[in-house]
Order: sequence, then C-alpha cells, then structure tokens
Amino acid sequence: MNLAKFAQLREILPEDRFMLCYSGYVSESVLEAVGGTLKERLNLHLTEKKKIKVVFSIFVELMQNLIRYGSSGPKGIHIPNDEKAGFGMLMIIEDDDGAISLLSGNYVSAEEKTAMESRLERLLVSSPDELRELMRDQMRKPPELKSKGASLGLIEIARRSTRPIEAAFVPAAGSQYFFSIKAYV
Amino acid sequence: MGQNFFLAATSRTPEVSIDPDTHSAAMSGECYPEDTEKFFTELNRALSDYFAQGASSLQLEIKLVYFNSSSARALMELMDSLEQRAADGAKIEVRWFHDEDDDVTKDFVEDIAADYRNLDLVLIPTLDS
Repeated sequence: MNLAKFAQLREILPEDRFMLCYSGYVSESVLEAVGGTLKERLNLHLTEKKKIKVVFSIFVELMQNLIRYGSSGPKGIHIPNDEKAGFGMLMIIEDDDGAISLLSGNYVSAEEKTAMESRLERLLVSSPDELRELMRDQMRKPPELKSKGASLGLIEIARRSTRPIEAAFVPAAGSQYFFSIKAYV
Repeated sequence: MGQNFFLAATSRTPEVSIDPDTHSAAMSGECYPEDTEKFFTELNRALSDYFAQGASSLQLEIKLVYFNSSSARALMELMDSLEQRAADGAKIEVRWFHDEDDDVTKDFVEDIAADYRNLDLVLIPTLDS
C-alpha cells in the first residue's frame, strides 16, 4: 500500500456519514470485538432503537455466515489459534438517503456457488409472508435436511432487510468466486 | 426445597434464573452465544434438574431484547421440550415479552406457539426496551 493508493481509498469512503469497514479473518472473537465497536458507534449515530437493533442483528448473521462458510481464499490467509474462521469483508455504510447498507463478501468454490444460487434465487423473489413460511419450514427441518435449504441466517437477513437483498458472484483466482451480499436498513 | 439455578448475563448471553420455591424462571438480555449448543445444553440440564426435583409447574418469563437465528432454533427446541412436559401433565406457562415493533420476533413466537397444544405460551408486547 503506497500513500497514493491510501489517498484513493479516502476518496471512496465517506467522511461525513456512518461507515464501518472490516477485512480479514472473521472468528467469533472478531465478531465480538467488531460488534462492540459497531454497537457503540450506532448508539452515538442513530436515535431510533429499532434501527440499531436491526442493523446489529443483520451484522451478526452476516459475520456468522463468514465464520461458518468462509474459506481462507485463493491466497490462503493465516487463521490464528484453533478458532473456526474464514476470510471475509464487511462494510456498513450510510447512504445519501439515510438508509444503512450492510455488505459482506467471502470466497466460495464453483460447487458452492451452484448450490448457493438456487437457494438465493428463492430468497430474492420471496414476499415477506413467503419468507416467514420459509423460516418456519427451515426451523422445523430434521438435521439431515437442514443443509438443503437456505440457512436460517440468510432467511433472517432477508426478513430484516427493509429492501430486497442483493447478491453477486465475481470470478476470482484459483477457480474460486467472490460472493457478496447486500442488505438494507 | 430444590436448588436455585442462576447464570449471570454476559455480553452475548442472557441472565437466567430458576427458583424452585416460587416455581418461576426468567431469562433476560441478549442471546447470541459463541457456542449456542453449549449454552442451551446447560439451560436444558438446569430445567431437567428442576423437574427431576419433583416440580409440577413452572412460570417462565422471557425478556430477550435480541437473539440470533441459531438461538431461535435452540429456543424453539427448548419450548418443544416444555410442550412435552406439559403434555405429560406439568402446568407450564411461558410469558414471552417482545418489542412492540419487532415483527420478526413476534412472528417467530406465534409460529412456534401454533404447534403447541399443552404449553401456555403468551406473547406480551412491550414498549421499547
């Protein structure tokens, strides 16, 4: 990283609005540390308690998805200790209209991409009532069938998001894909 | 008289208490444990101990301001086990407090309650928390 690149980063990231960014391995202890910072800053920035709670709950589900399904990525990042963790990126940013976007990204294999696409497709087009039903069905599924549906975490994110969630896969090195997902509050 | 059970709240787990003298239990705070299974196994064991001491009724108050999706499944399983105990003859009442404007929690509790025939599960909306 040279100073010119660093200055470019400043141009992309706003200074006058809420912004929290994390990139690196994500484990339960990272979730706790970043979550503590997020809570403190949201409490200072927002007055509406419900909004703080919804942002925080989507944050937890995104981070836990990164821990559970994240991989070390094409460059094989080092994961310390024996913690379950994966590489992930997270950005929580307030848009011009005051809505808060939560974005997370991680690497997946081509096989995982195919499996995720069909689950996501259903989530993206479901109405609130359909999402509620999906949640109920998935909650009651026996353990051997649990992995066949969208994870509870993803359904929770889709339900809490105040606009339809978005998702994308971008080809990355080593025949992997960079998966990213966006929710709004 | 049985043993009291008490778990202090942590930043990621709620305070839990079970009092055999008053046949009451309470759970309050936030719930997104680092190890969901471990936390709920301890809770289930404490409830089993409570009933093993001969208790035949329980009033449980749940005041969780936030719980994550894995805790939701574990809470449902906990309610399932209470439903089973109620079907076997115990008198169990659960008073579940939730933020008035938290539809996701309200829907969740309503949806699980629809499956219960014996457990008395009541949703109580509260203003702010």
